[in-house]
Amino acid sequence: MSDLDRQIEQLKKCEPLKESEVKALCLKAMEILVEESNVQRVDAPVTICGDIHGQFYDMKELFKVGGDCPKTNYLFLGDFVDRGFYSVETFLLLLALKVRYPDRITLIRGNHESRQITQVYGFYDECLRKYGSVNVWRYCTDIFDYLSLSALIENKIFSVHGGLSPAISTLDQIRTIDRKQEVPHDGAMCDLLWSDPEDIVDGWGLSPRGAGFLFGGSVVTSFNHTNNIDYICRAHQLVMEGYKWMFNNQIVTVWSAPNYCYRCGNVAAILELDENLNKQFRVFDAAPQESRGAPAKKPAPDYFL
Amino acid sequence: MELEVDEKDLRSAGAELLTDGRRGLRIGGWEIESRNRSILTSLALQQWEQNLQTCHLPEMIFGESCLVLKHVGSGTKIHFNAFDALAGWKQEGLPPVEVPAAAKWKFRSKPFQQVILDYDYTFTTPYCGSEMVELDADKNRELGILTKRESGEISGGSSGLHWEDCEEQLDVAALALKEPILFYDEVVLYEDELADNGVSLVTVKVRVMPSSWFLLLRFWVFEQLRVDGVLMRLRDTRMHCVFDESANPVILRERCWREGTFQALSANGYPTDSASYSDPSIISQRLPVIMHQTQKLRVPGNL
Repeated sequence: MSDLDRQIEQLKKCEPLKESEVKALCLKAMEILVEESNVQRVDAPVTICGDIHGQFYDMKELFKVGGDCPKTNYLFLGDFVDRGFYSVETFLLLLALKVRYPDRITLIRGNHESRQITQVYGFYDECLRKYGSVNVWRYCTDIFDYLSLSALIENKIFSVHGGLSPAISTLDQIRTIDRKQEVPHDGAMCDLLWSDPEDIVDGWGLSPRGAGFLFGGSVVTSFNHTNNIDYICRAHQLVMEGYKWMFNNQIVTVWSAPNYCYRCGNVAAILELDENLNKQFRVFDAAPQESRGAPAKKPAPDYFL
Repeated sequence: MELEVDEKDLRSAGAELLTDGRRGLRIGGWEIESRNRSILTSLALQQWEQNLQTCHLPEMIFGESCLVLKHVGSGTKIHFNAFDALAGWKQEGLPPVEVPAAAKWKFRSKPFQQVILDYDYTFTTPYCGSEMVELDADKNRELGILTKRESGEISGGSSGLHWEDCEEQLDVAALALKEPILFYDEVVLYEDELADNGVSLVTVKVRVMPSSWFLLLRFWVFEQLRVDGVLMRLRDTRMHCVFDESANPVILRERCWREGTFQALSANGYPTDSASYSDPSIISQRLPVIMHQTQKLRVPGNL
């Protein structure tokens, strides 16, 4: 058994790798990821997954439902880390699978794959807690810069973490972005990772805070038409039912973190596409309590004032 | 949460836990119950948008979760729920914190169809609890009174309950006593991650001791701003009620609003690096108070 196979087995048990192993794994991953396009081509059949957010045991449920990699070909739409208890193990397992089976799993970048966001929402603290230093966080966030920004399945389904950008009308414009950097605060690369579809705007909308754009149905229609695609598949927003179509089936949100933050009570979904691009959503629940390592988050009685 | 409560403590306090899977207890003439449920379904969310006349609601609304404290003798009910809290947000209607700067920043020389959404995305609410008098169904029919719909009622206005301003302060000394806690729970009403720029969170915590119940309803915003660093807004409502079965109980309510930015705190020489977006407890004492009010509610006599 190779080192890599052994590491994958170890990670599947939710045991983190040694710091030196992480470093080596990230170097290998970098060589693979640097070759990928900003619009990475993906062949069908493929199974598309949305946000995971460090919910390792729920991701294991996902693999139970969707099948193991490499038997199943996977596309993950980003947000592997933050919020859940096991961002380290979750991301490293996906990365190890990528290195082991580069043609059977595609990882694209979510807005949480960023130095700034992970310092606020948990991944940074988790690395510090589990390794006693921030080196592992550094290796991982350096790898984030190499992750592709989007994927195109059989030239027909465009996949991205957040959504569209007013600076982008063609896929070729995405291909020209220099992605190897921290997610910027504005511009096309930021928008692809941050934007949301929104019912009440027709063209482009701006949320009051100005974080990413909101785009309406007509924007999606024209993008899909211009690029000759059937629909857009994206993640980024919590959906109680696991997936949600909008704008007459021109865009779908897929969410793969069940019982988000261990308290929302939502189900999760993955989207399976067969070789003819026929769709099947597979909906699944959070891992049962007894199969998780950590106790449920119970509020401890305290003498608050 | 299954709370480990000492049976002896419960018995000697004359308390009994609720049964049939309900979480809570009966003690001193009160029935106290908490419910922690899932977030709203997409369908329910649409309904709420209609009822609240808005297109924007927090990402996580625990619409069926609640804390209810009912004075059994009088039917007086103090309760906490997301709908009323959001109705408070809608009514207060604060202007968005950052529109001008953000708008300029984003829409500079972008000549396409644009809409700037103009609403308070921090979901700041003045909510300090709901109250009503609940007549039981039989009595209602006898008296020909329709039971009031629970949600949608913000203040006790027509319920005949009246909070009056008072000089009394919370009895911190009594609350600091380490009496056994017979019941404890925390209920999240709604939460939004402000598109990964911080958090907006409404929770209510309750603890019940042999001598009294005490609760803290907390609205908390921690928001990374582009211009001023970090905005923190804390709106606390505390309620304390001492058990006294011989008289009509009195509930003391203290509301305290605090607000500040990192900029202002560091200008006053406070270190801000210990502040955490998810937990206001460390920083809260350093935030300037912008509103403080103490009121009491005399629970009406038994029916």
